[in-house]
Amino acid sequence: MESAKAFRVPRRALWRAGAREASPAFLFLFLVFVVPLSSLLLRSVTDPVLGFGNYEHLLSDLTYGRVLLNTFMVATVVTIVTLLLGYPVAWLLVILPTRVSRWMLAIILLSMWTNLVARTYAWLVLFQRTGVINRMLMEIGLIDTPIPLIGNLAGVTIGMTYIMLPFIVFPLQSSLAAIDPAIMQVAAISGARPYQVFFRVLLPLSLNGICAGGLMVFVMALGYYITPALLGGTSTMMLAELIAVQVQSLLNWGLGSAAAFILLAVTLALYALYARGLGLGRIR
Amino acid sequence: MSGRAPCVVSLRNLVKRFGATTAVDNVSLDVGEGEFLTFLGSSGSGKTTTLFIVAGFEDPTSGDVLVDGVSILDVPPHLRNIGMVFQRYTLFPHLSVFENVAFPLSVRRKPKAEIEAAVTDVLRLVRLETYADRRPNQLSGGQQQRVALARALVYRPRFLLMDEPLAALDKRLREEIQGEIRRIHQETGVTVLYVTHDQEEALRLSDRIAVFSHGRIEQIGTGSDLYNAPRSAFVGGFIGNSNFISCTVAEGGNDRCAIRMPSGQICAIRGSSPMATGQLVSLMIRPERIGLSTTASQAGPDCAIKVRICEATFLGESVSYKVTTEWGQSLAIREITGKSQDVPLNSGVDAYARWHSADTHIFAT
Ligand SMILES: Nc1ncnc2c1ncn2[C@@H]1O[C@H](COP(=O)(O)OP(=O)(O)OP(=O)(O)O)[C@@H](O)[C@H]1O
Ligand SMILES: [Mg+2]
Repeated sequence: MESAKAFRVPRRALWRAGAREASPAFLFLFLVFVVPLSSLLLRSVTDPVLGFGNYEHLLSDLTYGRVLLNTFMVATVVTIVTLLLGYPVAWLLVILPTRVSRWMLAIILLSMWTNLVARTYAWLVLFQRTGVINRMLMEIGLIDTPIPLIGNLAGVTIGMTYIMLPFIVFPLQSSLAAIDPAIMQVAAISGARPYQVFFRVLLPLSLNGICAGGLMVFVMALGYYITPALLGGTSTMMLAELIAVQVQSLLNWGLGSAAAFILLAVTLALYALYARGLGLGRIR
Repeated sequence: MSGRAPCVVSLRNLVKRFGATTAVDNVSLDVGEGEFLTFLGSSGSGKTTTLFIVAGFEDPTSGDVLVDGVSILDVPPHLRNIGMVFQRYTLFPHLSVFENVAFPLSVRRKPKAEIEAAVTDVLRLVRLETYADRRPNQLSGGQQQRVALARALVYRPRFLLMDEPLAALDKRLREEIQGEIRRIHQETGVTVLYVTHDQEEALRLSDRIAVFSHGRIEQIGTGSDLYNAPRSAFVGGFIGNSNFISCTVAEGGNDRCAIRMPSGQICAIRGSSPMATGQLVSLMIRPERIGLSTTASQAGPDCAIKVRICEATFLGESVSYKVTTEWGQSLAIREITGKSQDVPLNSGVDAYARWHSADTHIFAT
């Protein structure tokens, strides 16, 4: 009894002790995240004039509205496509013998570790009017004239999907690996056809990974810069590009900050939704 | 067995190899209607693999599985109409108890009312009707396995496979659920193929037991067959307690032979198979078939050896002795209290261990 009591440290004390150890990190975060963010927020409502003019401007102007639409559309499509492509890959990683899956993992990681800009330029080369893809398609007679793959959303989506794939594969893999194969066997022997095993057992049990990976990709895609900048055109501008243009070229800090804040707000809202969904979905 | 009754499941020369290891080695058996047949064997003896072949999760290297006389090897698991309970907890964690049990019917697209009635019935059968709305992680291990059993029974499968369903439970709970399984087997009359490595569980539940060793069936028979007439030293040692004494045949014969004990003493034994002179054999005697007395010459038991008592433990209904023979081997003896005339012998005392030659099992080594 006594020893148990001795171990029960008051929560406050624990908090205080933990806070002391973590204070450098907190300070760092405060300096590099909270302070600039606050000043950005301040700027977004003060820059040319005090008020929500920047936000109004952003949300009402058709050009900016188009950028927002582009951003969400690309992010949504990229998330869906990476999920569809990544799920089978993650599943293979789980069920293949370790020797094979290790190789697969290495290939995925290798592509992740290759410099982002280099990879995007590689796509540029492939996507050109006279690039490998167009020439191949023409060679096999699928098309007569080169199709434009650069300067439109198709190129941006393909390029981003490729870059995001690992980010969806890893959370999916870990949530699939946590499922006991016996649960799928029991579903099968109970009479579930393969597609029923997938939709009624595998999919619900891997929902965690789908949400985690999907959210990660969606949020990353929302704020993605390099790929849309290199592979996209002016008509396919996304939010991050808009911010860059506003701040760098037009020195319009107020509008840029407001755009950044819309992005942040959406991200936070999505995260809240995800956390809440997890809390509800948790089997407790 | 059930005489001429048709076999529900027949395994025909089943072989399964994983690379160099032979997990299942030429297993053949027939399971009759309503029979409770148990695979008993130590870890790695191929029980699960055999069961998985029947379920369709593994393909045999060779051999066949017949259900009601028809091969099911080409039938995928979901069409085999088999119920299965696993060793691990395999309830669907995202579904309630009711939804878990309803799963097999719901994937068969049964009408809602029918599902509801069937699930309620089977939950009553496993006595968990009040738990229908719980989640699996709100149940104890024993309850989870009972729900799993209900889920395996709800669609009235042709037969039931159970792979060590109680292995993860503690002893008391295990015995309780063994009782439940017995009752459910009697109430439903379902044919069961059961796997365990616990001989007590096998004896308590089964009509017949197949003793597995290294992928082979060593012997198959009722519990008392296996106990009273083990066909090999392995079965004799696996079922119940036993003493083994390595001896040589002093004089062979077709039905009777003389055995030379390690002490040089000769015992006349009735052998089950012809023994050749000079052959090495191993004698097996059950602890409860050996009596202890302080004098050698008494009517009754015809085999007697000199022993020294090492340890005497009073266990209420019986006294358990550990004795040492002249050649230094230690034997276990169990005497029912009240049957023996003398007071329990103390350790350190010399005595005679005596048994009937008919109670001796002889195995070639
Ligand atoms: N997928 C597999 N690949 C390779 N070897 C396997 C595989 N499955 C089983 N084995 C081997 O086959 C043999 C029999 O295994 P099995 O699981 O059937 O034993 P068991 O009798 O069920 O044992 P336990 O009581 O431990 O469950 C073991 O030697 C095991 O290592
Ligand atoms: Mg097993």
